[in-house]
Amino acid sequence: MIEVTGLRVRGRLRDCSLHVPAGRVAALVGPNGAGKTTLLHTVVGLITPDRGTVRATGDIAFVAQDKPLYDSFTVAETLTLGRRLNRRWDQRLATARLAELGIPLDRRVGRLSGGQQAQVALTLALARRPDQLVLDEPLANLDPLARHEVMRSLMSAVAETGMGVMISSHVVSDLVDTCDWLVVLNAGRVQVSGDIEDLLAGHRMMTGPPELTLTATVVGGSRTEREQSWLVRGAPVADPRWRTRAVGLDDLVMAYLRSPEAAALPRLTGVQA
Amino acid sequence: MIDFHLDRGSGVSTYLQLVQQVKQALRLGTLRPGDQLPTAREVVELLAINPNTVLKAYRELEREGLVVGRPGMGTFVERSIGGATLADHTRLRASLSAWVRQAREAGLADEDLHALFGAVVREVAA
Amino acid sequence: MIWLTCRQHRGQLLVMSGLLAALGVVFLVSWLEATAFVASHAGLGAGDLDAALAERYQAVYTLFGWLPIVAPALVGVFWGAPLLGREFERGTHQLVWTQGVSPRRWLAVKLSVLGGAVALGGLAMSAMVSAWRPLFRTDTFGNIGIFNMLGVEPVAWWVFAFMLGTAAGAVLRRTLPAMAVVVGVLAVMTFTLFSLSDHYATPARVVTTEAGVEQDARLVSRAWTDPAGAEIAVPPSGVCPRDPGLGRGERAQLAYERCLIEKGYRYVFYVHGPERFWRFQLIDAAILLAGAGALGWLTVRRVPRSG
Repeated sequence: MIEVTGLRVRGRLRDCSLHVPAGRVAALVGPNGAGKTTLLHTVVGLITPDRGTVRATGDIAFVAQDKPLYDSFTVAETLTLGRRLNRRWDQRLATARLAELGIPLDRRVGRLSGGQQAQVALTLALARRPDQLVLDEPLANLDPLARHEVMRSLMSAVAETGMGVMISSHVVSDLVDTCDWLVVLNAGRVQVSGDIEDLLAGHRMMTGPPELTLTATVVGGSRTEREQSWLVRGAPVADPRWRTRAVGLDDLVMAYLRSPEAAALPRLTGVQA
Repeated sequence: MIDFHLDRGSGVSTYLQLVQQVKQALRLGTLRPGDQLPTAREVVELLAINPNTVLKAYRELEREGLVVGRPGMGTFVERSIGGATLADHTRLRASLSAWVRQAREAGLADEDLHALFGAVVREVAA
Repeated sequence: MIWLTCRQHRGQLLVMSGLLAALGVVFLVSWLEATAFVASHAGLGAGDLDAALAERYQAVYTLFGWLPIVAPALVGVFWGAPLLGREFERGTHQLVWTQGVSPRRWLAVKLSVLGGAVALGGLAMSAMVSAWRPLFRTDTFGNIGIFNMLGVEPVAWWVFAFMLGTAAGAVLRRTLPAMAVVVGVLAVMTFTLFSLSDHYATPARVVTTEAGVEQDARLVSRAWTDPAGAEIAVPPSGVCPRDPGLGRGERAQLAYERCLIEKGYRYVFYVHGPERFWRFQLIDAAILLAGAGALGWLTVRRVPRSG
């Protein structure tokens, strides 16, 4: 469980509150500069907020953006770092994982490929057997194969331990099959926070002729001379002249990001049109 | 045994794809009562998807009475679907194969073939 | 944590030990050689022997002259500045501060282990210089360069430089600019302490007919007394003639002053005698260590409480 209340970091976060239940794989999405890294750094204690609180159950492990490691250390020394600096440490898990990935323990970290470095960073985090794992843009700068491998490792660890995960990304499609909770951060504010299936079920795309007026909670959309198309929240409109279709995660995130004043937060549930 | 795969461009949600693939296997007889479904971990290892999605698909199948979860052991097929027996399947499959060969000899491409089959299924149902 | 500190900084530890060892060899060889030289020139007077030694060991003296400035700079630049600067630059602070050890504890261990090593290095340098010096130089206090290499001065300077580099790296979050700051601030600090040290105690007032001060003392200021005993900055002109035949050189000045002494004028020197060696050492050290403490406080504030 991660709970953030009234978080403010000068110039970067404005009154952020969100709650991610235990064992969820949460996606933190938003454009570059939205404050994703700041939010994650506050959650893991790298930044002390000006105001607000962060509560999280159990141990949190963090994999920072660009997966920083000590280049001059060997892989084995990197594991020793983890073992020496943490009370809980599963050396067998770490060595077994690296052996499975074919990463030699005596190689210097600086001589590994980007994908291998990402795996070493992930191993360092997983071997701590954390209750929560926080990852900042774990897939950035990785080739498609390495992305798949990292996600596979991650999901398999989730299946095994039931730990909660929070992943930030500015590419929504990376997270479609892996996340079950969505947090949208835009310009330092939390815009959306909720279960992905509930969110998808609670929104729809309505398309109809231009003369109709729509009585629904509109998140965003467009109107042309021939037709109008809106992403709306809440129950479908009964009028048969409107065509309704389900929304995808991409549509949902884009619609909210384009309308910064719209919000879908837990406290708003039930007030929809 | 069943090999799950994902069609990421299909627009069908991941959990529904898993449910459909199990049902398909039950219909074709590749999964039979008593068979064990892969564990969530195994599916996740294969597809790199959220384990909750697999569990959700299995819960859905369980709700429909097709599989049953035995704590600590795994998820097992409870019953198969489709009216036909395995013998019927073999017989029908043979005649369909003969039909496909005839269609190909008549110069139909695979797409024509699918279209024709779909049209006939709809006609007969109506 | 101690393992990590030693692993991460083993290069620096090795280089420092190596440099100190090399310096030790230079000192030892020159000392052995000079001992033999002195023994074989037993016939020379003390002044001539000093001059001969100075000429013979010009290179060692030059190295020696630079050490009090260069050694702390090296410590600040290569030990202090990268300590946090490099972590910030490479982003590895995000790795190490989110493990089970809190960032403040991480910093405490790093500062004590590395600061301790730096202090030991300074002590080793001081010990080596103390052993080497007596053969070559009799002064310990009057010459600020030698004074800064003896006693606790190297320890205080090295620790200060280390903390200065660390704080600069913490504030600037980059190694190279932090290194530049170390060099700049150390230069200013050396000059400031040098000027400040005149005021560490009230200088002794010496009224004398001799033109020089006591061996190994520091001269703070000078004046004259007139025949009545009143202190004046400069004797009035016209008391003694200046001999135009001798020009304006040193000899003319000497002759002029000799005449003033004969007329009852006296030199006044304000000096710190060599007995103040430890007092000055401890005041310097106190200032530098207080500075190091303030810089440490500045550094701690840049490191989050919990990771």
